[in-house]
Amino acid sequence: MTEMLVSDFVAQTKAAIASITAPDISMSTVDINNCDREPIHIPAAVQPHGVLIAARPDSWTITHVSQNSTEQIGRSPADLLGNSLHTLLHEEQISAIQACLRGDFEAVNPLRLTLEVERASRAFAMVVHRSNDVVVLEFEPVEDLQQTFNFFDFHKLVKRPISRFQQAKSLGELCRVAVEELKQVTGFDRVMVYRFDEDGSGSVIAEAKQPDMTPYLGLRYPATDIPKQAKYLYLLNLLRLIPEVGYEPVPVVTASDTNAGQADAAIESPTALEGSAPLDMTLSALRSVSPLHTEYLTNMGVCASMSISLVTGNQLWGLIACHHNSPRRLPYEQRTICEFLGQAIALELAAKETNENIDYKLKIKALQTKFVETLTHSETLKDGLTDDPQSLLALTNSAGAAFCENGEITLIGETPEIQDIEKMLPWLDGEFASGAVYSTTTLSQDYLPAADFTEHASGLLALSISRAQRLCVLWFRPEVVQTVDWGGNPEKPVETSDGGVATLSPRRSFALWRQIVQFRSLPWLSCEIEAALELRSAVIGLVLQRADELAQLNSELERSNVELDNFAYIASHDLKEPLRGIHSYSSFLIEDYGDRLGDDGTRKLQTLMRLTTRMEDLIGSLLHYSRIGRAELLIEPVDLNQLVEGVVNLIQMSRSKATSFIIPEPLPTFACDQTQVTELFTNLISNAVKYNDKPEKQVEIGCMSAQEAMAQGCLPDSLRTSIGDEAAAYSSVFYVRDNGIGIKQKHMDAIFRIFKRLHAQNRFGGGTGAGLTIAKKVVERHGGSLWLTSTFGEGSTFYFTLEQASSQSDGAAQPPSEESTEAIEMTGESATTGEATL
Amino acid sequence: MNHLHSPYLLVVEDSDEDFEALQRVLSRSCTDFHIDVKRCSCGDDALELMRKESTSSKNAHLPSLVLLDLNLPGTDGREVLIEIKQDEVLKSIPVVILTTSSNPKDIQSCYRYGANSYLIKPMDVQQLKTTVCSTMDYWLKIVALPG
Repeated sequence: MTEMLVSDFVAQTKAAIASITAPDISMSTVDINNCDREPIHIPAAVQPHGVLIAARPDSWTITHVSQNSTEQIGRSPADLLGNSLHTLLHEEQISAIQACLRGDFEAVNPLRLTLEVERASRAFAMVVHRSNDVVVLEFEPVEDLQQTFNFFDFHKLVKRPISRFQQAKSLGELCRVAVEELKQVTGFDRVMVYRFDEDGSGSVIAEAKQPDMTPYLGLRYPATDIPKQAKYLYLLNLLRLIPEVGYEPVPVVTASDTNAGQADAAIESPTALEGSAPLDMTLSALRSVSPLHTEYLTNMGVCASMSISLVTGNQLWGLIACHHNSPRRLPYEQRTICEFLGQAIALELAAKETNENIDYKLKIKALQTKFVETLTHSETLKDGLTDDPQSLLALTNSAGAAFCENGEITLIGETPEIQDIEKMLPWLDGEFASGAVYSTTTLSQDYLPAADFTEHASGLLALSISRAQRLCVLWFRPEVVQTVDWGGNPEKPVETSDGGVATLSPRRSFALWRQIVQFRSLPWLSCEIEAALELRSAVIGLVLQRADELAQLNSELERSNVELDNFAYIASHDLKEPLRGIHSYSSFLIEDYGDRLGDDGTRKLQTLMRLTTRMEDLIGSLLHYSRIGRAELLIEPVDLNQLVEGVVNLIQMSRSKATSFIIPEPLPTFACDQTQVTELFTNLISNAVKYNDKPEKQVEIGCMSAQEAMAQGCLPDSLRTSIGDEAAAYSSVFYVRDNGIGIKQKHMDAIFRIFKRLHAQNRFGGGTGAGLTIAKKVVERHGGSLWLTSTFGEGSTFYFTLEQASSQSDGAAQPPSEESTEAIEMTGESATTGEATL
Repeated sequence: MNHLHSPYLLVVEDSDEDFEALQRVLSRSCTDFHIDVKRCSCGDDALELMRKESTSSKNAHLPSLVLLDLNLPGTDGREVLIEIKQDEVLKSIPVVILTTSSNPKDIQSCYRYGANSYLIKPMDVQQLKTTVCSTMDYWLKIVALPG
């Protein structure tokens, strides 16, 4: 807006006026119902205290004349219309007007001149401006032609007010000083600062008046008191004076009007009519105002009125309204000073408004900073925003707040019920379509169901952080029953005229009319709404920052994984090489020098070789274990019957002793990584065969539902709760059961530790002790659990699941029921076997 | 002057102990044939040797078989394999990988790049003997090699 060219601004504002007014409403047909559309910029009439003449700038042919020309300047409209301006003015005066048109208005206006009226010379101040294709000359009689204003007069008059405006510390003080100074400069009985609210209504926020007058300070006037088009005119013409409210409007006539008036029989020239568009009087000082406005002022008891516009950022912020109890004229120069002071006040307004509530704004800023700080260190957005509920409320000075995230609502302070907010969210989402912030002080008007909870939420400030994630913060303010002091009852009264026809006219009483306003909260200040918006920016900024950090962590993790991979590889390779050397050279020693070493020496070298082989196995297992943990899982449906059959066949081939394998029921087809699950079954089944001293080895492989496992009492408690009763019927629990040596209770944790062995190396076929560790890793990679029950000396059952059950259980090695614990205790004699770890 | 070059085995191996063990096995255990052995202890030497032979206009004296370790100082065995198998002349020489690495990724990629066999160095000397002798038997006696 600030970048807009003045000419654009004028054109836009004029277009706005044209768009909301209806040219066919005339001064005689306007009433309170259609006054909002009255074309007040083209009244075709002036106030009687001056004469208006319009002429074409090329030929100086006079096109418009106000009908009071005869008595004011001694020339009738018929005399002037259609003739050249030269019949009225001297050549020098016309040259001066031409200078005006070249753009040097201010240097020339007003042009002082004398005209011969009834053989006496009369002094006038003439003001020139351009309106579309004509030049408008406005003549105002002056008392004394010699009384001229110069720069020093101007300076003297504005110096003191300007410096007082600048020194004012607050908006309130500025307005108080403004009315004092303008009362001084204008001499009006009452000067007020009238400020518009967002809804178009306004109130008197400063007043200087004669002591005997009724104060208007603090009174509010409805939006309808100043129609929109009048507000637009105030934007373009910064000062409007009505020296005598009870004036009779003087029509402005054109050539066609006078022809018609002079000879009724004469046929109006259609071409003349076509050519005469109504004269645009937007910038005219003499423009006749709406009859409703003068009626309004009369009802108020005002005899003279002047308005000075207060415009900030191309918006009409307010008016300086001056009232006088008797007719009052103000010469052009004085009006210019008033206009200038109005602009000076408007300039100060913006600065003072920024400083208004500065302490409160600083407090909000401090809270914001704190929030950003808290958010940076919070795990979740919810924690960051709701951990310090008082601050969240203080940020917008609210009594209650709600944090909504994907339908989950957290309440703080005084709020409507959760279900009320839930119902309101879809409506609110619609409001968010037009902006991230929605605020109201009368929620029940915008959202009818809110009538049920006006006590807690008459005011709502809603901030959408992410519509996609349905993430928003709502602040609530309670109802505060307020009184509004109106300047008279703002409801338009119906007046019945004598003839019984109802006509509407402006209200007559402007006495204080107090209204009680319900279901309304205190207003949201713009700094509070800004605080909400800035909170949003901070949150979004942090989310982006988090995403960056996460990406960085990911790349670091990736790098460390690659490093780990390299490490495992290098370790395996570089450790194996010297081992192989030791092994080879020991072997060469035996081959080359066996005869000299003797049996004992040879045996020791053979031990050395055995140890190096064992160490190589350990390194290999470690490497394998690390690969299982990191290899990418290829999850696909696997027929476990085929898989287990393959494993069993392989084990049967490599082990000579007969073992009976039992698969009581067909196994399911299950989504898992075939390679890893093959290894899982291989390790469990081969352990079942290996750690078995029974003459008839038995291994049973099966599958049951978690429900059945629960019924058998072999589902660990932790898993039971994490699976839940409903899912239990569908969750598969696999098991490998043997009649082997069993495992003592105290070793049930240790068996899963890598390289942990419960037996001497040479018993049960040896091995590195990584099998169960790898088995457990495979299960965990699939998101499942591995646990066992066992009776020492009688056999063990290893159970496992292969799917996620929300939380990982650590009850893998826990006995599921007391019964089996007892069984283990009863048979829990001291171990007969040695335990070795390398 | 030798008109007919005698065939030889090129061993690319940086570990002296491993090479000694290999040589010992070749000379003592694989006794039913004899073949000359040349050794390069790094990948660059091996490539240089073979390239020199392949570019000499006549009488290119290329190895009958290459035994290639993967972890080598400087140019890695994996790169050596790639270079050999991308060279129009050298690519016909059978390359047998003999390495400590049992990493499935290595096995996969070596075959993909054209390795003719992949042997994991056994720990045990007896196993080494079996491995080396069968490999030599296969490549030098059973199969027909390019001229």
